[in-house]
Amino acid sequence: MALLSNEDREYLKGLFTGMKRDVNIMLFTTEEKNFCSFCNDIKEILEELKSLSDKIKTHEYSFEKDKSIADEYSVKRGPALVLKADKDLGIKYYGIPAGYEFSSLVEDIVDIGNDTISVDESLVEKVKSIDVPVHLQVFVTHTCPYCPPAVRTAHKFAMLNENIKADMIDSNTFYEYANSYGVQGVPRVVINEKHHFEGALPEEEYLKQILNAIM
Amino acid sequence: MLQLKMAKQEEKTKNKSFDLVIIGGGPAGLTAGIYAGRARIKTAIIEEMIAGGQSATTEHLENYPGFKNGVGGVELAMMMEEQAKKFGTEVIYDSVVSAKLEGEEKEIHLASSVIKAKSVIIATGATPRRIKAEGSEKFHGKGISYCATCDGALFRDKKIVIVGAGNSAIEEGIFMQRFSDDITFVQDLPYLTAEKILQERIKSYPKTKFYLGAIVKSINGNDKVESVTIKVAKDGSEIDIPADGVFVYIGYSPKTGFFGKELKLNEQGYIPTDENLKTNLDGVYAAGDVRVKDFRQVITAAADGAIAAHSVEKYLENK
Repeated sequence: MALLSNEDREYLKGLFTGMKRDVNIMLFTTEEKNFCSFCNDIKEILEELKSLSDKIKTHEYSFEKDKSIADEYSVKRGPALVLKADKDLGIKYYGIPAGYEFSSLVEDIVDIGNDTISVDESLVEKVKSIDVPVHLQVFVTHTCPYCPPAVRTAHKFAMLNENIKADMIDSNTFYEYANSYGVQGVPRVVINEKHHFEGALPEEEYLKQILNAIM
Repeated sequence: MLQLKMAKQEEKTKNKSFDLVIIGGGPAGLTAGIYAGRARIKTAIIEEMIAGGQSATTEHLENYPGFKNGVGGVELAMMMEEQAKKFGTEVIYDSVVSAKLEGEEKEIHLASSVIKAKSVIIATGATPRRIKAEGSEKFHGKGISYCATCDGALFRDKKIVIVGAGNSAIEEGIFMQRFSDDITFVQDLPYLTAEKILQERIKSYPKTKFYLGAIVKSINGNDKVESVTIKVAKDGSEIDIPADGVFVYIGYSPKTGFFGKELKLNEQGYIPTDENLKTNLDGVYAAGDVRVKDFRQVITAAADGAIAAHSVEKYLENK
């Protein structure tokens, strides 16, 4: 069954037209059945996207069997999606990018494909100047309309600076993991394990939180 | 069924000047966009998040006419958005920082640009009112939530307290049953205020408890919420209810904070209008939950949108 309506498909085709570089989406499935109950749905989403642009390439791996590749991209669990251009951009989705998060995935693809930076100009240099490792984990649910901006900002920062790695984590699929961070409201952004904030902050505030965390 | 939702941003708009700018893309703003588009008024809707406003956080609407089996809040909003765009209305995803609403030419200052308009419909809606009780600041986003559709899944098999017993509270309480059956309602009034059909439905869940005529005194815990202390009005007694999560539905606050003093508001911050939905300023109209009215529903917001667009059409004709 098609996931997207014809209207949506046409809209996306238009959106993806003119992308100048390949967008590689690497899917890591897992043998853990509980986590992979949506893996077929993820595959379907990727099939749909691939059919809409010849710049979108998808690759399937197994988190367990392709351990070395998973390690190379620092994939910690499956299912996971790694989005990259030629090189790794530090952008991941743990769990299915469905519901509102489909928006995040689409916008990421457009940014990567066009090689554009959609961070506010006044902040670009500040983001680029971060010279220590930053790991952003953005906990979401698919039914949270406030969450995609939090994911996108993390991913945009990661695109700008290779010291920054940014993960979307679906709190439903990774319930225990979310629990281990005490996530009780989404979006919650965890910075380098220790710091966190709630809510979709504007880019400038978001960056302040990161800068405070690494001080 | 698997759902894929997206905010569809049209080609970056080159237009910086419109006949009508609608602030807010909820049911009121979107309906105004449909009517204005059909009246061939050059219109833009500015939405900061995703079409639908509050209705997008409503899982399921059962009382919107025409959908006998109900319709998802988001689905309805997205259909309205498509419909508005079909008639030529642009949707700009950006947040409004401030607005100059006096005079012939209005200016809407967005996060990244300024747009000009001959007329404005304010359809910014309202946000859930924050609970004020001991501990409520401490646990904001850490056990206290205003969005069950967002955060409900984080409380599987946990003890839930829902504050309020109006339509939103009861609807979300019914929604939360899929995650937990340990749900307790606390309401200040001595009776439920939700529609009767919702009351019947929530009472069909045998484990649901109600404390009516009681207020929340404090939300307690160390690192996370452990209990809610309520005070019963009639005898002043206090009861401690074990709780992991607190979902709050005690009404709304209008989103009018970024408007200047020139726009008249009532004491609660809502915008008074005349029957054509005109505010105190010429060329400025208000529609939906943001205006002073008794009954805030998707359908009354949509109706407001239609009326406001019609008033704008007349205003622009007479200029």
